[in-house]
Amino acid sequence: MEKISVQDVTFTYGSEGADVNAPEEPALEDLSLEIEKGSYTAILGANGSGKSTLAKLIDVIEVPDSGRVVVFGKDTSDDSVFWQIREKGACVFQNPDNQIVGTIVEEDVAFGPENLGIKLPELRERVDQALKDVGIYDLRLREASRLSGGQKQKLAIAGALAMRPEVLILDEATAMLDPRSRDEFLAVCEDMRLKKGLTLITITHDMSEAMRCGRIIVLSKGKKATEGTPAKIFADISLEQYGLRRPVSVRFAYEIAKLAGKTLTEEDLTGSSRLRERLYKILTAPDLKEPEGIFEERHAGAISDRRKIMSVKDLFSSYDGGATFALKNINLDVYEGEILGIVGESGCGKTTLISHMNSIMKPSSGEIEIYPEEGTTLYCSRKKDVRRIRETVGLVFQYPEYQLFEETVYKDICYGLSKMKLTAEEQKDRAVKAARSVGLEKDILRKNPFELSGGQKRRAAMAGVLAMRPKILVLDEPASGLDPAGREEMFSLIKSLRDGGTTIVIVSHNMDEAAAYCDRICCIRNGEVSEAETPEKLFCDSEKTGKFGIDQPKITKFSGLLKEELKKVMPQADFGTPVFEPEEEARSVYRAVLEARRKDVK
Amino acid sequence: MLSDISLGRYYKADSILHRTDPRIKTLLYLVYLVVIFIIKSPVALCALGVVTVIQICMAKVSLPVIWKTVSPVLPLSLFILILNLLTIRQGNSIFNWQFINITDYGLSRAVLMAIRLIFLIVTTSLMLTLTTTPLKIADALESLFSPLKIIKVPVHEMAMMMSIALRFIPTLIEETDKIMKAQVSRGADYDTGSFINRIKGYITVLIPLFVSSFRRAEELAVAMDARCYRGGAGRTKLNPLRLRSTDVIVGLFLTSCAAALVVMDLTLR
Repeated sequence: MEKISVQDVTFTYGSEGADVNAPEEPALEDLSLEIEKGSYTAILGANGSGKSTLAKLIDVIEVPDSGRVVVFGKDTSDDSVFWQIREKGACVFQNPDNQIVGTIVEEDVAFGPENLGIKLPELRERVDQALKDVGIYDLRLREASRLSGGQKQKLAIAGALAMRPEVLILDEATAMLDPRSRDEFLAVCEDMRLKKGLTLITITHDMSEAMRCGRIIVLSKGKKATEGTPAKIFADISLEQYGLRRPVSVRFAYEIAKLAGKTLTEEDLTGSSRLRERLYKILTAPDLKEPEGIFEERHAGAISDRRKIMSVKDLFSSYDGGATFALKNINLDVYEGEILGIVGESGCGKTTLISHMNSIMKPSSGEIEIYPEEGTTLYCSRKKDVRRIRETVGLVFQYPEYQLFEETVYKDICYGLSKMKLTAEEQKDRAVKAARSVGLEKDILRKNPFELSGGQKRRAAMAGVLAMRPKILVLDEPASGLDPAGREEMFSLIKSLRDGGTTIVIVSHNMDEAAAYCDRICCIRNGEVSEAETPEKLFCDSEKTGKFGIDQPKITKFSGLLKEELKKVMPQADFGTPVFEPEEEARSVYRAVLEARRKDVK
Repeated sequence: MLSDISLGRYYKADSILHRTDPRIKTLLYLVYLVVIFIIKSPVALCALGVVTVIQICMAKVSLPVIWKTVSPVLPLSLFILILNLLTIRQGNSIFNWQFINITDYGLSRAVLMAIRLIFLIVTTSLMLTLTTTPLKIADALESLFSPLKIIKVPVHEMAMMMSIALRFIPTLIEETDKIMKAQVSRGADYDTGSFINRIKGYITVLIPLFVSSFRRAEELAVAMDARCYRGGAGRTKLNPLRLRSTDVIVGLFLTSCAAALVVMDLTLR
């Protein structure tokens, strides 16, 4: 009785009075599943697999076309209990700005209980309690639109908790948060679940977030693909076909097991300490296999000796005429043909810095010099250089798809070109090539950009910048909001652009991706920047990462702990520098263990 | 670029005007609206200026904030000034060159209009937007218009719509700024070129802004649904409006100021 049960549900958007000639694909089809009361469930799936629709059905924002959704014994299609069910459920959505109704923090928290008709002493008590539960009581009289992203999202949970729900649904609620705010946010939700017996349902693209849950349901194209404990789900390689990827620690473990010719069981995957224990056992077993080719040297990319293409010199930047500085004394060199990462928490000045690179913002003092070719120097503060700078440095902001405006993709890509006074043929040639370079087929060029899927829109927007053939491409969180497969594609696209000769600057708060794809990384915190270094060097320097509030990549954390344990029994082992691709890191650890054992024998 | 405009923004402070009942403020606002459009004599206008300064002190709003509120409408004010100067033909000519003919009446009229607009903006900000949160304004309107509910006017819904519109002003300004920056980096130019070209340039901002507003509206509707919003019936209030004696005093004080201004103006005319 005490569960949420979805029975043979089919649901299509706009099915009431929709265009008969263009029937929409169903968002959910013959879906059946059950979620126990008080459980912690993750719903995974590629973009467009129906995850959010499922959330809406459980919170009775939509009612299924056929089949039934029964929440704790009450059928959602029964009008007489409609409000009772909705009152029990609460949702936190992805974009915090679009779910805040009140101007002042406490006004917004009160919105839900006010709707429920809660009377005054209790109403005040609920609001205060909810604010204290999520730890933003001190902000209660602040203006909601001025909070940081993490604070806004906490405000959204407070608003949900004040309604005293039994089910809390997080619909990609952590997608826009940086890793620290993400951990804090989840900790609050998990804590509430334990204290108040909430049923917690989280919809996410983050696999390590899914690892924290008790159960995972995978959706694919509106159908249930598979379900089970995280251990069961991640033990199954077929996950990849649903556009998902296994967590880095699991990928690492499987590679080691493969090298050693061992298998991992579901049991081994039930927690990261157990997984490490198992790997430790494999690696310290007396008969460790020596797979062929493991000692072949990895080809190391040559760094340095490259031409400097951009140089930021003593840059200060201020939004309020010098009262406070968003950027303080920034010095940074970018070399031709590299991928430079800029990492840091939200609000640290990353976006401000890249706005300067394109001369959209003017420095308070200092200079950015750009050297498009040998012997030419462009100055960002010099007005006559601005046009050439914008042609040399292409800037792709976060969610670039929100800037599309033309009737067809082709016209949109041509917008920047039309400002460059090129001939019509040249424009066409460049637009088509740019579209091809981001993987858009020719027939998409004729389409209206608003008809495309999320990933395609982003590519179209990027093509609009690439068509201008910038020597330097600056990308702000290029993969945000994409599912794991989409993220991977985006980064391989970026790599191929780099290989084609474009210098890339990426702003990111995802350390795993920054470490895996960037040649050098610099950190920003409170407007101050660190020297750019290789990821290997940066993430081994715990003093520096601590100073800049940077977390280690998850793979480095996991394998670091394993290395520590191994060091105890084989102190002679030399693990060298960390590698950030999970499979490569596994091979590197494996190699080091084999080498250590050889020394031992001698 | 646009983020430092404070028109329509709430300014957080603890002042007499901030604490005053929003209904009183709304009524006072209407009173001053009338006063601003009645007053003509220069002395009364100066006196209105003094009253406005008193209001600024009562609201504890800093002068830079007032400046940020006024500065966006200065071009409009200037435009009105010039338009009036050029079009009003009554009165004695004081300047005549080719087709331009400025009269003394036209000059005084033009200055009056321009000043009125500035007073209008300052008063609106002081009485309402700067000192009152949008939800409170909506509460006040709902309460003041509640008699209309009897004849089935959707008073609550209209108040809610208004408060949401106000709540999203800063969000949309931020968004506009982002879109403009992105288009500028693709070569858009909003500051130079012919007038037509500039207007065309704004299309590159307006279309994405419209699309995103619709998306936001849809998401907000879902979020409000999820938080069990079902119209005004049965809703309670965290901070219900309660008229206190200080509210009445503030109301009486500023109303008598307004009355004094009108009397002064009528006698000086």
